[in-house]
Amino acid sequence: MLHRFKQGLAVSILLAVSGSVLAQQLPQLKPEEATRYRKAGYAFANRNMLKIKAMLDGSLPYNKDQVLAAATVINSTVNSGMGALYLPGTEKDIGSEKTRLKPEFFTQPDKVKEVAGACRTAGSKLATAAASSNQAQVRVAFDDMGKAGKGCHDAFRKD
Amino acid sequence: MTAARIRLWELPIRIFHWSLAAAVLSAIASGLTGGNWMIWHQRLGLVAVGRPAFRLVWGFAGPTHARFSSFWPTPGKVAAYLRGAWRGIGHNPLAALSVLALLGTVAFQASRGLLANDDIAFNGPFYALIDKATNDAATGWHRTAVNVLYLLVARQVAAIAFHARIKRQNLIRPMITGWHEGQGAQPTCGGSRHTLAFSLALALLVVYAASGTWLPAPVTPATSPTMDW
Ligand code: HEM
Ligand code: HEM
Repeated sequence: MLHRFKQGLAVSILLAVSGSVLAQQLPQLKPEEATRYRKAGYAFANRNMLKIKAMLDGSLPYNKDQVLAAATVINSTVNSGMGALYLPGTEKDIGSEKTRLKPEFFTQPDKVKEVAGACRTAGSKLATAAASSNQAQVRVAFDDMGKAGKGCHDAFRKD
Repeated sequence: MTAARIRLWELPIRIFHWSLAAAVLSAIASGLTGGNWMIWHQRLGLVAVGRPAFRLVWGFAGPTHARFSSFWPTPGKVAAYLRGAWRGIGHNPLAALSVLALLGTVAFQASRGLLANDDIAFNGPFYALIDKATNDAATGWHRTAVNVLYLLVARQVAAIAFHARIKRQNLIRPMITGWHEGQGAQPTCGGSRHTLAFSLALALLVVYAASGTWLPAPVTPATSPTMDW
């Protein structure tokens, strides 16, 4: 009986220990990964902006569903907690992972908050506009989104 | 009084001058604004592209005062002007330097723009022809070289103010009416209809080439039914 108890205890401890190892939360982000993810996020948002633009300027037929899908990507990206991807030190290239982040990003937190905030607001407005069938509204929201992105690039992306 | 005036700037040169000024200033304004204005930015930039081509022809085959040979700023001429010993009309040697710099910078600026991208929703017409790193480098030049344009525009305004206030000479009127009031100047000749036709044709050709509309349309592979997600 005691033997069985000991066995059970050992198994439980083993499970608990390995469980706590397996249930480790989000893996730690490496600086070069932070740079890679933020570039990937922006690049995919860029692709989706181009898609909406093509549908607004008539190079592609306007498709409400595709515009909505694209706007959702953009909105989710800029509102996904991108701020966490700006790890200290990531204003420098790390190995083959190149960055165009200006060092000022880390010395001007108020300006960062302002431009990032403008971008997040513009993102949710774009998604709302895309959900309506109103093309004129999408056009206005698209314009705001573009200017909001430019606001950040002018301040913190190297030329 | 009328006998003492000469035709300094021919009509095509005046149209060239004011349309270049308008195109460059509005390209700057639209570029700085961004957003949906980028569509206009491309159009205005393309208008600007045609100007140096047009001016090049007039610089060689145009009327007297428009020719590069008549105002080419040799170091000797610049020195003479600075000593106050220059006695020409039309572009003085310092102004000539800035005319040439302006034409060169506009050509450089616009040509980089054709390769540029704003990383948001706008690509220049030749974006697809080169790799992204080169696009980004061209974009960097485009964003930097515009500062040279700011300097040249500021210099232009300062020169006009200097001539108006200190030298009591109105530089703007001749560029609107074409007439220069004063004597002793050699009248303008040259700049035939053929020159005009040729320079316009060349400018249009350059704008057309720069617009990239002649490039084959991008091939969008048809999405196969199984990849339609
Ligand atoms: C519509 C929204 C936006 C779009 C479409 C967009 C697009 C892009 C693209 C395509 C890149 C180049 C990525 C690469 O090199 O592969 C980029 C870089 C960059 N963007 Fe944006 N962006 C947007 C909003 C923002 C916002 C809100 C910020 C500021 C918080 C920002 C800051 C930056 C920075 C700092 C870089 C350089 C990143 C690096 O090289 O590490 N962008 N963006
Ligand atoms: C002489 C003619 C031109 C002038 C004076 C001009 C000027 C400018 C200016 C002032 C900016 C804003 C830079 C900033 O915000 O720091 C800009 C951006 C831009 N221009 Fe031009 N431009 C010209 C021609 C062109 C042409 C022909 C194209 C392509 C069709 C073009 C494409 C672009 C692009 C893609 C940007 C965005 C760059 C960025 O935001 O990263 N430009 N331009």
